[in-house]
Amino acid sequence: MMHCNLFPPNAIPKIAPYARLQQDRVTGKMALVYPEGVLLLNDTGAAILKLCNGHTDLATICSQLSKQYSLSADNLVADVQTYLHRLYQRNLITFEDEPRSSDQNRP
Amino acid sequence: MIPRPFGLLAELTYRCPLHCPYCSNPVRYPTAQPELDTDEWISVFQQAADLGVLHALLSGGEPLQRKDIGTLILAAHDSGLYTNLITSGVGLTPSSAKRLKQAGLDSVQISFQADEPALANSIAGTNAFRLKLLAVRAVQEVDLPLTLNVVLHRFNIHRIPQIIEFAVSLQAKRLELAHTQYYGWAFKNRKALLPSLQQIEIAAQLVAEARKAYQHRIEILYVLSDYYSPRPKPCMNGWGRRYLCVNPIGDVLPCPTAYEIPHLTFDNVREHPLQWIWEHSEAFNRFRGTEWMHEPCCSCPYKEIDFGGCRCQAALLTGDPSVTDPVCELSPHHPLLERQLQVSSPPLLPQDEMRDKMSYRIYP
Repeated sequence: MMHCNLFPPNAIPKIAPYARLQQDRVTGKMALVYPEGVLLLNDTGAAILKLCNGHTDLATICSQLSKQYSLSADNLVADVQTYLHRLYQRNLITFEDEPRSSDQNRP
Repeated sequence: MIPRPFGLLAELTYRCPLHCPYCSNPVRYPTAQPELDTDEWISVFQQAADLGVLHALLSGGEPLQRKDIGTLILAAHDSGLYTNLITSGVGLTPSSAKRLKQAGLDSVQISFQADEPALANSIAGTNAFRLKLLAVRAVQEVDLPLTLNVVLHRFNIHRIPQIIEFAVSLQAKRLELAHTQYYGWAFKNRKALLPSLQQIEIAAQLVAEARKAYQHRIEILYVLSDYYSPRPKPCMNGWGRRYLCVNPIGDVLPCPTAYEIPHLTFDNVREHPLQWIWEHSEAFNRFRGTEWMHEPCCSCPYKEIDFGGCRCQAALLTGDPSVTDPVCELSPHHPLLERQLQVSSPPLLPQDEMRDKMSYRIYP
């Protein structure tokens, strides 16, 4: 189930080691390339992923994006959470210390 | 308007030290011409990147059979392509793994035939298991992202839990369990390889359980065979729409098994620029878009989603590449597929009978 604050604000997302962010020559947009294929990103997706560098936590990512896009951080947090959750489910991002929501447990 | 491609499948050579009977390489190799040389491949990578390709699968055969593999990876990397090496692992040593990483290799996929050495070697038709273990360690030592791949069929499907445990014990982070797709050698051997419907159902359940048990410890990619899918796959994400394949002699194909399609002519990178081939080659335009479709595809709401399924499969099963993929329940040829599945139902054969039941892949 999706809900807000799935990842804690101090979680540090990072692009999966086998995935790479690069510019697409044809559209000029950013693309996330991974072993099985390519995910062409929209501008906001690219902005989020550029900050998934393994040393910026979620709270900082949101505050930076809210300045960049002049949006209230409240609305933005939910969108960033949703976006990152989708990528996390596809194993395209990881977290430095693997945080998880309360309904997920290590085997 | 002609779309731009995203992915290149570079089949660097058909040479392979393994003899897997499920190989999707063509049963009849085009042997009249020599393999593309180093400079020709370098040019292919550069031209592909210019066309918009971002992603290259370096495959074969066994791509490590190319002595120039390091140079080729470097060239693909320098062209801006993400490179994924699809290998049996045979020939991958600590020093070569280090060299390939330095050349810019982004990820490696190593195949295993089973978790258990005797069974694995008997499927591969050669004693490759031990070499594969060494290859895994070599890749891990240089910290290259690694995916293990196991192709499933009747001779190993009963070992799914052990295969998953084996992957976990090797500290693999990703495991692809892909059911055999029935092209090339696999099509020739389909009666022996096809699991029963019951085996498929059990397998799906076991994979779901393992995914839960090992969540975020190992990612399990599970790819069902078309034969058991309720709907046809959007093959290559649409013919001539996202991918192109260059085979060892330089023929450019919309999909690696397109040789199966009778009377389709392919153009070669030795004769034309890649862009010309992508845009004008008869092979690419024949099934591009939706104009070529007949009923039930023409009026189907899914026609832009699955693009009528796989052309090679239509050709293999019906003789006509322009009909709806028989995998589709709406296809008038769907009963052909059901018949294939019925002949596959006898119980598992003892391992030592495998050789009598199948044709092992050979290189001429």
